[in-house]
Amino acid sequence: MTLRAVLFQAFNRNSGILKHQLESARVLYVHQQSRSKGSTQYKFGRPWHVKKVNQSINDENLTTENEEFIKEVIHETYTQHPSPLREEPWQRGEYLKFTRRCGVIGIKLGLVPQWTKTGEKITTTLVQILDNHVIRYTPPEEAAKTAGWHPLWRKFGSVVVGALSSDPRQFKKSYNSLFAEAGVPPKQKLTRFLVTPNAAIQPGTPLTAMHFRVGDYVDVQAKTIDYGFQGVIKRWGMKGMPASHGVTKSHRKMGSSGGGREKAGIWKGKKMPGHMGDRNRITKGIRIWRINTKYNVLYLHGPSVPGSIHTYVRIYDTILPHKRPNPDDHPPMPTWFEEDSEGQCPEEQWDEELFAFTEPSVEYQ
Amino acid sequence: MSSDTVTFTTAPACSIGALYIHTKPITPDVYGNTKARRARELRPRRNYLLNEDVEKQRRSLLQRNPEVESSVADVEASSDLLQNLREKMPEFMPRPDILSRDRILEKLERQDMYRRREVINIPEFFVGSIMAVTVADKSAPGKQRRFVGICIYREGQGLSANFILRNVIDGQGVEIRFELYNPTLLKIETLKLEKRLDDQLMYLRDAPQEYSTVPFDFEPVPLPKGAAVPLNPLKVKLNRRPWHERWERMNLKGVEDLGLPERFYKRAQELAKPWERFDLMKQYRSTIDDDEAQTVMKEVYAKTKNIQSLRRQQRTQKQKEK
Repeated sequence: MTLRAVLFQAFNRNSGILKHQLESARVLYVHQQSRSKGSTQYKFGRPWHVKKVNQSINDENLTTENEEFIKEVIHETYTQHPSPLREEPWQRGEYLKFTRRCGVIGIKLGLVPQWTKTGEKITTTLVQILDNHVIRYTPPEEAAKTAGWHPLWRKFGSVVVGALSSDPRQFKKSYNSLFAEAGVPPKQKLTRFLVTPNAAIQPGTPLTAMHFRVGDYVDVQAKTIDYGFQGVIKRWGMKGMPASHGVTKSHRKMGSSGGGREKAGIWKGKKMPGHMGDRNRITKGIRIWRINTKYNVLYLHGPSVPGSIHTYVRIYDTILPHKRPNPDDHPPMPTWFEEDSEGQCPEEQWDEELFAFTEPSVEYQ
Repeated sequence: MSSDTVTFTTAPACSIGALYIHTKPITPDVYGNTKARRARELRPRRNYLLNEDVEKQRRSLLQRNPEVESSVADVEASSDLLQNLREKMPEFMPRPDILSRDRILEKLERQDMYRRREVINIPEFFVGSIMAVTVADKSAPGKQRRFVGICIYREGQGLSANFILRNVIDGQGVEIRFELYNPTLLKIETLKLEKRLDDQLMYLRDAPQEYSTVPFDFEPVPLPKGAAVPLNPLKVKLNRRPWHERWERMNLKGVEDLGLPERFYKRAQELAKPWERFDLMKQYRSTIDDDEAQTVMKEVYAKTKNIQSLRRQQRTQKQKEK
C-alpha cells in the first residue's frame, strides 16, 4: 500500500462524507417541535438546522505542501465517490393541473439591455445557476413531522436544493454528512422547495438553466439591498421640511406623529426611521427571454429582481394562475435530463419575440 | 494506523481523522477568542457574495463543470496596438464600478456585440467627428430616417453604449442619442474622422449655431490609409451667460476666453479639487487594471480581425457577382 493510499483511507475513515460511514439517520430539518418564540409566522415551531461553520478552520496554519495535499485528497474523495445516480433512476411523474415543481438557486449578475424583433428595448436581469444539486427529497408524510410545518402544506413534500460546492473543511462534520446521500461536496447555500409528490427528484441530480424553458414565467425571491439604518426620507419617501425660511434642525425629520383626543399617542405601524432593506421579497410572473446553456444563465424580464449584484436568488415556476404552466404545455418534469434534448443542446436559446443579434437589422414595411 | 508512518514533523500536530499535520500553536486571548475568530466577528455582514468568491466558485474543481480558461493569451499584439484599440472601442472595456462588475455578464455582452458587428459595420469615431446614422422608423415616410451631426458625447459599457449627435435644423438645435448596438440602426457612417480638444462637447449648446451646423449632404472626407486621426485645434467662442452649466469650472481646453468677472474664476478655484489627481485609491476604483484590460482587448483584437476578413470576403464576392 502506498503512503498516499494510507493517507487517503485515514482521511475518509471518520469524515462522515461517505454514506456507509453514517451511523444514524441524518437530519436536514429537525423533526422536533420547538416552542414558538411569540412570532405568528412560526406558530408551529421554528425549523432549525445543524451548525454549519467550523470555527477552527482558520486557526490551522498549514504548510503549503500539506495544504496542497489535503486539497488533492478532497478532490479525489468526491470524484471517486459512489454517486446515488448509478442506481436505478426514479420514475418520472406526469405534469398535472396542480403540480408544483422544484426550483433552483441562482446568482444575480447584473442588468443588460436587449431588443425585441419590433425594435423595442427591454432591460433584462441576468441570473447564473451555478452548480445546483438536489440534496434530498422528503415525501409529504415525513415532511409533516418537521418543525415549522404548516397544515396548508399537507399535499407537499420537500426538495432541498444546494448551490456552490465548497471545501468540506469550512463546515462542521454534522453539516458535511448532510450531503452523503446526494454524493456531492457540501454546498455553500441550501434551500427547500415545496413540491407535489409527482415532481420528486432523486438526490444527487444536477439542476441547470434548462430546468426552465424560454418564454416561461417564473417567480423570483431574494433579499433586498441592505441599506442599514435609514431616516424617514429614504426609508418611507417622506418630504422633510424646507431648507430655509426659518426652519431649524428639522430639515429631514418626520412631521407630526399623531393626532389628539381619542386618536392620541403614536399608533402601531407608524412610519419611522429604522433598518431598511435586507428583507426577503418576491417578484412574481417574470418572463424568461433567453437562456445560455453553456454558462447556465437566464435572461429575466425587467430590472425588478430584488437585491444587489451577486445575491442568491430562488427561482421557481410562477404561481400566478394565468401565467403558470399547464398540463398541455409544461416545462420538463421533474427536471431536465441530458437524454431529453436530441443531440447536442444549443448554446443560445432566444425567445421568438426577442431579437437575436445574428439576425439582420430591424426594418419596418 | 501507527503514527510514525504518517507524521511529517515532530511539531504540535492537528488531526483530521487519523491524519497528522504540522501546525503552528494557537494562542487565544484573555477572553479565550483566537485571532481568526475575532477577525471573523469584525467582518461586515453582507447579504451578497464578493466578486472574487464567485470567481473562485466558477473555477473550483469541486464543481460539476468547472470553467476552463480560454486561450486568449496566444494572440500576439503589441501593447500600443491594444491601447489604440481601447481608445477606439471603449465600450468593450469592463465597467469601471467594481461593485457592478461581473466577468460572465461582460463576456456574454461582448459575444452579442461581436455578432452585431458582423451584421453592420460600426466604424471608428470619436467625440468631435461628423457622423451620419440611418435608423428604421415606423412613422417616417420611407420607413427610414437619416440624421447627420457632430458627435458631442459618448458613454456606456457593453450593449448600453451610446453617443449623441448634434445639428442645427431650421435654426433649432437638435440632439439625438443613439444606442450603438440597437438593431434599428441600419447604417452608421463617419463622414469626417477627427478629434477635438475635449472629451465631450456639451458646451456647443451654449455656443453660436455655426459651430454645430452640418449640412445633411455633407460629403465624406476620406482619410489616407494608415494616417493618424487628426486633431482639430478649433477653439469655440461661447455665447454670453446664462449657460446650461458653469463652464468656467470644467477646465475646458477647446474654449476661448470666457470673459467673466473675476469673482467667477475665484469661486471656481475654491471649488477645484487638484488633489484628486494624487488620490490613488480613487483612481484605482474608477479605472480598470491594465492586465485585466489587456486580456479583454486581446480577445477584441482577435474577434474584430475575423470580422474584418469576413467583410472583405463578402465584398469581393459581391464584386465577382457583378
